[in-house]
Amino acid sequence: MNVLATLGASAVLTAFAASLFAVGASVYGHRAGRPAALLAGRRALLATALLATFAIGTLAYALLVNDFSVAHVASVSSRDMEPQMKWAALYSGQPGSLLFWTWSMSLFMAAFVAVTVPKIPWGGAHAVATCGVVLASFLFALAFLASPFDVSPVTPDDGIGLNPLLVDPGMLVHPPFLLTGLVSTSIPFVLGAAALMAGKVDGAWIRHARSWALLSFLVLGVGNLLGAWWAYTVLGWGGYWGWDPVENSAILPLFPMTAFLHALLVQERRGMLKLWNLVLVLAAFALAVFGTFNVRSGLVASVHSFAQSEVGPYFLVLLGLVIAASVGLLAWRSPILRADADLDSLASRESGLIVNSYILVAITLVVLGGTLFPVFSELFQDVRITVGPPFFNQVVGPLLIALLATLAVGTVLPWRQAATSTLVRRLRGPAVLLLATWVLFAALGMRDPFALATVGLAAVIGFVTLREFAIGARGLRRATGAGWPAATARLFSRDQRRYGGYLVHVGVAVIAVAVVVSTVYQETARVSLAPGESVEAGGYTFTYERLLQRSPGVNGIETEVLAEVTVTRDGRQVGTLEPGRRFFENFPSQPTGIVALDGSLTRDLYLFIQGWDSNEVVELQVFINPLIAWLWIGGAIFVVGGIVAFWPQAQPARVTAEAPEGAQRA
Amino acid sequence: MTATRTRGVVVVGVAGTIALAVLVVAVLGSRGERVPTDASQEQQALAIERQLLCPQCTNKRLDVCELAICNDMKRVIRERLAAGALPDEIIFAFSNTYGPRVLAELPREGFNLALFGWVGGSIVAVGLLGGWFLYRLRRPSRLDDGRASVDGDDAWIDEQLARHERAAGGPEG
Repeated sequence: MNVLATLGASAVLTAFAASLFAVGASVYGHRAGRPAALLAGRRALLATALLATFAIGTLAYALLVNDFSVAHVASVSSRDMEPQMKWAALYSGQPGSLLFWTWSMSLFMAAFVAVTVPKIPWGGAHAVATCGVVLASFLFALAFLASPFDVSPVTPDDGIGLNPLLVDPGMLVHPPFLLTGLVSTSIPFVLGAAALMAGKVDGAWIRHARSWALLSFLVLGVGNLLGAWWAYTVLGWGGYWGWDPVENSAILPLFPMTAFLHALLVQERRGMLKLWNLVLVLAAFALAVFGTFNVRSGLVASVHSFAQSEVGPYFLVLLGLVIAASVGLLAWRSPILRADADLDSLASRESGLIVNSYILVAITLVVLGGTLFPVFSELFQDVRITVGPPFFNQVVGPLLIALLATLAVGTVLPWRQAATSTLVRRLRGPAVLLLATWVLFAALGMRDPFALATVGLAAVIGFVTLREFAIGARGLRRATGAGWPAATARLFSRDQRRYGGYLVHVGVAVIAVAVVVSTVYQETARVSLAPGESVEAGGYTFTYERLLQRSPGVNGIETEVLAEVTVTRDGRQVGTLEPGRRFFENFPSQPTGIVALDGSLTRDLYLFIQGWDSNEVVELQVFINPLIAWLWIGGAIFVVGGIVAFWPQAQPARVTAEAPEGAQRA
Repeated sequence: MTATRTRGVVVVGVAGTIALAVLVVAVLGSRGERVPTDASQEQQALAIERQLLCPQCTNKRLDVCELAICNDMKRVIRERLAAGALPDEIIFAFSNTYGPRVLAELPREGFNLALFGWVGGSIVAVGLLGGWFLYRLRRPSRLDDGRASVDGDDAWIDEQLARHERAAGGPEG
């Protein structure tokens, strides 16, 4: 008997039982009016999290001590693997990632039970029961369909090692963020479901869902950004987002979650969109479950997906149940989902927020359709097709530009209504700036309409955001006598969500410019070079010097073959880059590329080699990627804004002594 | 807000745009000047490669795939271009050989039109349903003074905006 495997499997089974107990205790406690049973249900969920933590700790230990009798350990680890890469091995492969997903979900739900459930007496029992059902569903799959604690009939001397594509430092952070982000959509879902079951669909659930949704948005956003960074630095095709089905699955829940974060403002302020907000949180979780089904079923071909397994059909059933339950609850409660107020004017902040959420939902539908279409093509036509970047760029591009336009216009719209003269005055400056930007950049040689539209709208978003900050800070200066820096800083403490959100908008605008410019103006060259020969691209000279070889001897890497390339510009040396290929002992047919990068604020020099011959003539691929650095800078602004918006709100500073005339205070 | 400060904000906005413009000029200015020996044909070959996918890998473009089969395809592309074949003919030939899955761009024909229909239908449906929903929500204003009756700190910020509007001249909306 393997002690570690037995302990781990027992923990999973006990966690499954505890989650079921949480469901039973909550339902009984609610129906019988027994507070002790409700408390027991909450504690059972905390126990589930502890047991899941014990289970993942056991698997981590098995990886660290190279217990290859555990099948999962033997399939993803090896003796020469560096300790930090064991962390990546933990959640690689079907069972490991499912355990990480379930563990992460159990922690989220434990935090939710500890922090939020005591504050929602109207629906605590419903929420705990829903958490229990969701957790039990995943623990069942873990216990009976894809256990990471299965024992091999024969214990090998060494493990196979990590999939070559995963042997990269990016794997230490990208999957945990992405899996956690997907899992985090469960909490707003639980709150929405609890609100529907309890018939409490006013602003109460929204107030609690807001922070969890912000956290989910932030972690999902970071996960996708890290995924783009990993793809850029590892996959070796010169890009960062390939509209791969699994990439799409990872970003899909982010769209309705973002729409919810905007639409909830309208419900908070005006009591509208009760039904819409519930639809958005339910859809976000359903899409997260779709993502895990997609990646685990082998339904669509992807470099990221696991092999086909029996958990695929199980998650399809689970997805169907989530959708059916959501639709059923919404239908049941539809009579009480009417708006409390009317829309005073289409020219209002709430209209902008509503339109913004519509565009995000349209993007969701379009991306979902493109992701699933190869399945339907094979099903109905028996023809395998690929829906790739050209399709998505064509159909999502205009929608993203419309989204940028709503960001630009929505920021300047007042709540409830605006007189035409006010609208004209507020939009006059941005409109002039937009036209000026287009003229300027067209004169500078930018002809691509997408690029022009994006750059123009990004400039407007920057302008209106800056104006909002300037006006707010000016008011605070007038009221408090503080200097500009202090007044600007105090703006954040007055209304973190508002100004954090503005920072996120700026981050999105910067990312959009980087994406469009790097896509439209990317340059590439591919040449065969003998040692000493050069190629010119993008104004740089790339001289191939020689072929190098080294043997790291870790992480299953047998050898690395590198081409030393000297880069010069106008006779000055810019640097030496070493693109290459990496060969793995246990995966002889799966060499991976080593991307060599030289980055700056204006461009990345991106090199990799596709092969070489016996005379050391290499096939060198060069990409000149403009403004890529701004993708990561925009991402950093996005993250900072998200953190500001999420950070627990400090008590607002009271500025009563010289409060502006007519200002209304709560 | 005084006109001077308004001008200040505008100046900062324009300066930001100019900075962005300089950045793009730097990017556009650094674009390649190299002309290969047979520039048009090599560029055509690369363009064709980017429109094709590896028949064996998953969603990997031909131009960045190093498999032997892809190297053969790249060689064939150049040979056929040299022989006078048109890019569309070459792409069509590969599609016939390996199936439509090697096409990076989805052909707008046959069953594929269902996807474009889905895209168009989704956008139109969201637009129509959304428009109808907005129309149903919309009612004539019941506000007495046309000012937002909001609460919390947002009210103060909105008031600052209103003061800015008034300082800029004209009635508040």
